[in-house]
Amino acid sequence: MELFAILALPALAAGLALVPARRALAAASTVLASVAVLVLAIRVALATAGGRPVVAVASWIACDGLGALVLLLIAFVAVTSSIFSWGYLSRIVDAGKGPKLRRYYSHFNLFLLSMLAVPILAQVALVWIAVELTTLLSVFLVGFEGTAAALEAAWKYVVLTCMGAAIALIGILLLFWGMTTAGGGPFSWSNLVAAAPRMSPALLKTAFLFVLVGFGAKVGLVPLHGWLPDAHSQAPSPVCALLSGVETTTVLYVILRLLPVLQAGESASTWLVAFGLVSVGAAAFLLLQVRDYKRLFAFSTIEHMGIIMVAAGLGGPAAQASAAWQMLSHALAKSFCFFAAGAVLLAVGTRDIASVRGLMRNSPVAGIALLVAGLAISGAPPFAVFLSELSIFRAGIAGDHLAAVGLLALFVVIAFCGVMQQVNRMVFGMPPSTTAVPLPRSCVASLAMAAVPMLALGLYVPPALERLLGLAGTALGR
Amino acid sequence: MARNILFNVIQVLVVMALAPLATGILARFKERIQSRRGPSVFQPYRDIWKLFHKDEVVPEQSSWIFRATPYVVFVAPIFVALLIPVLTRYPLFFAFMGDMLGGGFVLALAGFFSTLAAVDSGNPYGPMGASRTRMVGFLAEPVFMIVFFTVSFIAGSTIPYIVHKHWVTPLSNFIAPSHVLLMIAFVMLILAETGRLPVDNPSGHFELAMIDESKSLEYSGRGAALMKWGSCMRFFVLCCIFLNVLVTPWGLTAGETTEAVLLAVPLVLAKVIGFVVVIAVIESSVAKLRLFRITEFLGAALVTSLAAMITRFLES
Amino acid sequence: MSGSAAVLPVFEHLNGLAAGLFLLTAFALVAVRQVQACLRIFIVQSVLLAASACIQAYSQEAVHLFILGWITLVTKAVLIPWLLRRTVRREVYVRREIAQVLNIPSSLLIAVALALFAYFIASPLLAVADGPFPRVNLPIGITGLLLGAYAVTVRREAIPQVLGILAMENGAFLAGVAIAPGLPLIAELAAAFDVLIIALVMGLLTRRIHERLGTTVVGEMASLKED
Repeated sequence: MELFAILALPALAAGLALVPARRALAAASTVLASVAVLVLAIRVALATAGGRPVVAVASWIACDGLGALVLLLIAFVAVTSSIFSWGYLSRIVDAGKGPKLRRYYSHFNLFLLSMLAVPILAQVALVWIAVELTTLLSVFLVGFEGTAAALEAAWKYVVLTCMGAAIALIGILLLFWGMTTAGGGPFSWSNLVAAAPRMSPALLKTAFLFVLVGFGAKVGLVPLHGWLPDAHSQAPSPVCALLSGVETTTVLYVILRLLPVLQAGESASTWLVAFGLVSVGAAAFLLLQVRDYKRLFAFSTIEHMGIIMVAAGLGGPAAQASAAWQMLSHALAKSFCFFAAGAVLLAVGTRDIASVRGLMRNSPVAGIALLVAGLAISGAPPFAVFLSELSIFRAGIAGDHLAAVGLLALFVVIAFCGVMQQVNRMVFGMPPSTTAVPLPRSCVASLAMAAVPMLALGLYVPPALERLLGLAGTALGR
Repeated sequence: MARNILFNVIQVLVVMALAPLATGILARFKERIQSRRGPSVFQPYRDIWKLFHKDEVVPEQSSWIFRATPYVVFVAPIFVALLIPVLTRYPLFFAFMGDMLGGGFVLALAGFFSTLAAVDSGNPYGPMGASRTRMVGFLAEPVFMIVFFTVSFIAGSTIPYIVHKHWVTPLSNFIAPSHVLLMIAFVMLILAETGRLPVDNPSGHFELAMIDESKSLEYSGRGAALMKWGSCMRFFVLCCIFLNVLVTPWGLTAGETTEAVLLAVPLVLAKVIGFVVVIAVIESSVAKLRLFRITEFLGAALVTSLAAMITRFLES
Repeated sequence: MSGSAAVLPVFEHLNGLAAGLFLLTAFALVAVRQVQACLRIFIVQSVLLAASACIQAYSQEAVHLFILGWITLVTKAVLIPWLLRRTVRREVYVRREIAQVLNIPSSLLIAVALALFAYFIASPLLAVADGPFPRVNLPIGITGLLLGAYAVTVRREAIPQVLGILAMENGAFLAGVAIAPGLPLIAELAAAFDVLIIALVMGLLTRRIHERLGTTVVGEMASLKED
């Protein structure tokens, strides 16, 4: 029941957003809808953590541990992002352009709907369609600002992602073929995992590779990541938070769901670890050369996706649970990063790192937010990302994968240095001029809201959440 | 056995006699499509007869190659006509003298001689046309090879009669994808090798744009007649290879009597005329390609033949 | 399930013919020079896809394959070209030469190499194939996918890139019709709808790019870099 409501609410909000009325109506209905979705998602997560997977239509619409976790993440970031949009858009869209604003909110809600559908749908073919829709419905959000750079980013985004989706489609069709020759049954995740031992290993490997390459383009796997820094920096900041924070995580969820299907665990996990390490390494080094602070955070997304892949590939319940934890902490921290970036953009009006100095004196809220964001995302204590990365290292060492853990630690340190160097340059020092632009209240509220769980979960993890993470981890392996 | 030799001789005489007719029908039909009256279908016969009765003028600096080439160009298609199925479905006396590769080499020999003669003639347009012909030729060779390889691999032999039996006689093979793709590739090849649109305009008079025609610019009298007749026969022989070996065995006779063989003559002629009509339609629908676009045209033919080979291997 | 009943050879040949011509259109997509020709080749390719689906539906008496064939025909051969023509201004189509990264003969050679590569990917999978249809459709579908991807990388113009992506989906569908005929009808309908949305979104984006930048040569948009 809750699952249907979760799908219906954003659709309703999208429709409401198109009604030509006061500007506040679109924004308010979006915020209300996302808050309602968050409440429902928490209920689903609690039910799943208690051991009862929520099933609305058997094999079509259902939610288990991993799905509930991803659902929770999407819902939370949706709330903070819609609150942030309220204030952010009032600054960047001029007073007369009502229709543009309404278009933003309707696209926002539809994008949210498609993302929410991914963990809820249990039919694999429909999941592919939902992932494809997340791309198509966010294209105009990426190109919202209408500049040449934004349109270029939107074009690269849509072309590379649709190519990846077509490649992943063949992988999924191959899986379906394997399943029908191995006994048939509805094409849901659980059925697929159950039928996997009877399918031919060559078929499973080829299908997994197709899905990895295809959806890997959407997740930002190096070398298919070319569109990610562009799209995730040119979009308006609340949209970036959604894209970087949860959309990449959602697509990675789809890839990781296939892990237990690959039986000969060895080859799949080696590929994941190898690809993951390449992504983390490349992102860490590419980070060092950026000139635009939103691109900095976008490369950090690539890095974290690689870390999650490595963790999932290491295998074993401890590593898998920490992969789920990393998904959670990354989503929280990355969305906060982009809110901070949005605040900085509103305060100084430029994306160039070199021209931003002395934020702490100029606009203290933006300065503190950026500093906290940099620390949080690069894995400094006492934030959640630190704990999740630590648990990944521990699990890796316990499982005797010393080389992988060593490389991972090295790359994480390089990224830390890169991010903190740029953030320090921006936050401290003397500002070029002392014009302080006050931030909209909703932006500040959203920043505060996003910061709380990020900090709190770095200190204390409630038992229900821990159970959920454990359950999510079991879905990642056999 | 005497009968086989007789049928072989009849086959060659048929090719010699009917080749100018095919070219005449092609020219007439093309003109008709373009709403003009066009020359009579027997015009090539009249042209050849007229040329035989004219004096021959030969450039002073030319060597024996120039004088020998018309004979080579005339004899080569006749030689190939001995090897391919023209009237009968069963192999005749000379059928095993050479296979498809051998026939291809003989035709290439004629082309080689005419290229050399064009350079030998001293005419400035000769070498220009000769080098262009070579460009078209060397790009067309891989297509020939792949087509022949595909059909021979399936038939297990390179003799045209045996290929014909395995490739086209099972009628259900007609719509097989490799069959259709090979037909498309070979039609493109015929257009390129015989200098038809879109590769070259056979009725053009502008020497700077000629590819195939420029090789016979300097000939007169008997040499010109033999060159003209030889190119008509070359076209006819390529059509026969295409129709009888690659497309359909309809019209070829399986009977062993002279009457059956003679009855096959109008049937095969009808088949050739049908194909000639198709070529006339193709020629009237396309524009001549720019010179360096010809590589793309032949590249497309190559890819089509490769696709045919791939689909053939996928089916078996 | 496919293959449980014997398939008549004439259906096998007809399907093989449709698939063979599909392969040819996949090559042609890389080889043509004009935007209009690209669009026409895409229409022909979609018609062949629908034909393959209908032939298989007829030989196996699977009703939903028929429905899928007709839906493919309507969306891809009729609606999508109409959408692309409506959303993008006419002058984009009148362009005579498409800007490309490689010239056409080299592109054709690479395309042939990709076709062989697709064949090698598909051959270990065909060991489990029962029935003649997967044996032909799967390799050619994967070839269509790879050639569509290659067309997207090598063309620098917007509309041919869109058509390349749609051709990739065509290839995936061609493979899917033979190996996954039992996919739930909802999924197939949603996939067809999804392709329409792709065309719509990309067409509208092309129009905005054309309005903003005055050109649709997207290969020249390279301002977002690290230096």
